[in-house]
Amino acid sequence: MGALVLRRFGALLAVLFGLACIVFVLQTVIPSDPARAMVGANASQEAVAAKKAELGYDDPLPAQFTQYLQRLAQGDLQSSLRTRNEVTADLREFAPATFELAFSAFVLAAAMGLGLGLLLAGGGRAGRVIRVFLIGGASIPAFLTGLLLIVVFYSWLGVLPASGRVGDNFIVPDGPTNLLIVDSILNGTPDLTLDAIKHLILPALTLALLPALAIARTLSTSLEQVSREDYVRTARSKGLTERTVLLKHALRNSSGPALTMSGLQVGLMLGGVVVVERIFAWPGIGLYIDQSIAYSDFPAITGATLLLGTAYVLVNFFVDLAQAWADPRIRTV
Amino acid sequence: MTTTTEQPPTMTEGAVPVEGPGAAAAREVPTPVARMWRGRPALSPGALKGDTVWHALIPVAILSLVILIAPVLAPYGATEVNPVGPLASPSPDAWFGTDEIGRDVFSRILIGIRTSWFAALGVILLGTIIGGLIGAIAGAFGGKVDMVLMRVTDLFLSLPAPVLAIAVIAAMGPSLRNTLIALSIVWWPWYARIVRGEVRALAARPHAEAAKLAGVSRTRLVLKHLLPGAAAPVIVTMSLDVGNLILALAGLSFIGLGAPPPAPELGAMSARGLQYLFGHPWVPIAPAAAVALLALAANLLGDAINRRLDQRTTR
Repeated sequence: MGALVLRRFGALLAVLFGLACIVFVLQTVIPSDPARAMVGANASQEAVAAKKAELGYDDPLPAQFTQYLQRLAQGDLQSSLRTRNEVTADLREFAPATFELAFSAFVLAAAMGLGLGLLLAGGGRAGRVIRVFLIGGASIPAFLTGLLLIVVFYSWLGVLPASGRVGDNFIVPDGPTNLLIVDSILNGTPDLTLDAIKHLILPALTLALLPALAIARTLSTSLEQVSREDYVRTARSKGLTERTVLLKHALRNSSGPALTMSGLQVGLMLGGVVVVERIFAWPGIGLYIDQSIAYSDFPAITGATLLLGTAYVLVNFFVDLAQAWADPRIRTV
Repeated sequence: MTTTTEQPPTMTEGAVPVEGPGAAAAREVPTPVARMWRGRPALSPGALKGDTVWHALIPVAILSLVILIAPVLAPYGATEVNPVGPLASPSPDAWFGTDEIGRDVFSRILIGIRTSWFAALGVILLGTIIGGLIGAIAGAFGGKVDMVLMRVTDLFLSLPAPVLAIAVIAAMGPSLRNTLIALSIVWWPWYARIVRGEVRALAARPHAEAAKLAGVSRTRLVLKHLLPGAAAPVIVTMSLDVGNLILALAGLSFIGLGAPPPAPELGAMSARGLQYLFGHPWVPIAPAAAVALLALAANLLGDAINRRLDQRTTR
């Protein structure tokens, strides 16, 4: 297991370096002029040229690349053209909201995927109904899910809020984690906790739906395959109930593909946060990207890309390790 | 030659995820040559080229034709104003109502569906061509070329495709063309994997050995003897991907990374209608529902093609 962790860690570093390279390539092919954007449209030619030299855009590409890597290593992502703040500072401000949303959605997706997958593999009438539901559900764009949830739960039933992280009548605490639910529990304000959870339900559900369906499909397929294996037949012929066979014998060996799928779905979710945060006015990285797009704020977008890309690679690193833990056969590979 | 000890052919090497883009690759789809090797009657050259594979695509062609000519039914143009006035409720005069400047939502949806469908097909085609080329080169040359190309492929597969696509479009500037390019850039690696695996597997088969001994050039060997074998798994993957791409395109269009207004793109229409959700829900919901319907049609078709080709290859 130790060697595996080391090897995967090496791969992780290589992928992160690759990500940095891709972002650098994007920066060099970008048609707009970042120096002009920074000094403003009315600045003189000399001011633009001076800014260009200051930013190092006159240097040869290899020198620019080394500079870029040095800045990355120091956590310097330049300044946003829109907010005029350091991108790092902006990201630090918006990241907790997105983390809260994506993490809840991921847990929700995993739980729903597990439940649906087991129901599907259990067969019977429920399985068939769910199968139809899966094909249909996989065709629904996240923004339709979001709109319908808002119409039903906010507009019609009036039980859940449809925008933001918290109601206007609450004072948002200053920390320590900036995760609203965690902070409100630490500060002992149960009203705020309840309100934050209420605000989280609809966006998290919207973000979780498609990944949950994908996880369920993968899990049920691999459960079906494993169910045909000899050891499962042995378990059945011993007289164990179908439930015990499924949960105690088949599930662990079928979890590999479902875990991989969960990791891959995080990629879909990180793209989805942009859409979901816009619909629910959720003040996170997605909304930051959405607003930066309108301003062609490239430093902000690359910074967010680097952050989300790194998060994705890290999650999949841990998924890999979880898989090796669940299935010892993988450890030798 | 080691032909007498050949194992029954198996699918591509390497771990391929079970769902999502490239889903079909994870399943065992023996090539025509593989069937021959199992002692089935020899196939005609036509079957080897995968004629049946192309027949499975007929429904796609029919649906494409319907989508192509459907805008003829649109009572109004994409930017034309329906005389019933702005934000009118659905009625016989305006089936899905009108938007904030009085344009006919039904007409714009029909035109938007056409854009979405052909954009999705375009990305698939572009991704397959890029991926196929890289996969074929990697598989045919092997060694260092293979290693370098597959490391690059792995790098792309290790990064979140939607996030990368957003960054690429943002860098190039939002337009429909750039969206298609960006999605192709993040979509090709799946196809490179599949094609490379198939080419590698086929290159070890007796017919490839025979062709090599007959002095066939490397280009001809790849084009005539190896690539056709990859057609079935590639087409299955393509057909299962169309639905995903329709959703991806709609999502990008929703966040403003598609054709600039006033182009009738379904995602952008829904996003701009967001502010009218409470008074006039059809403005944002009708285009979103159209995306769902189109993706459903694509997914059902993909499922059918998948099952049909499966039948062909596993019977």
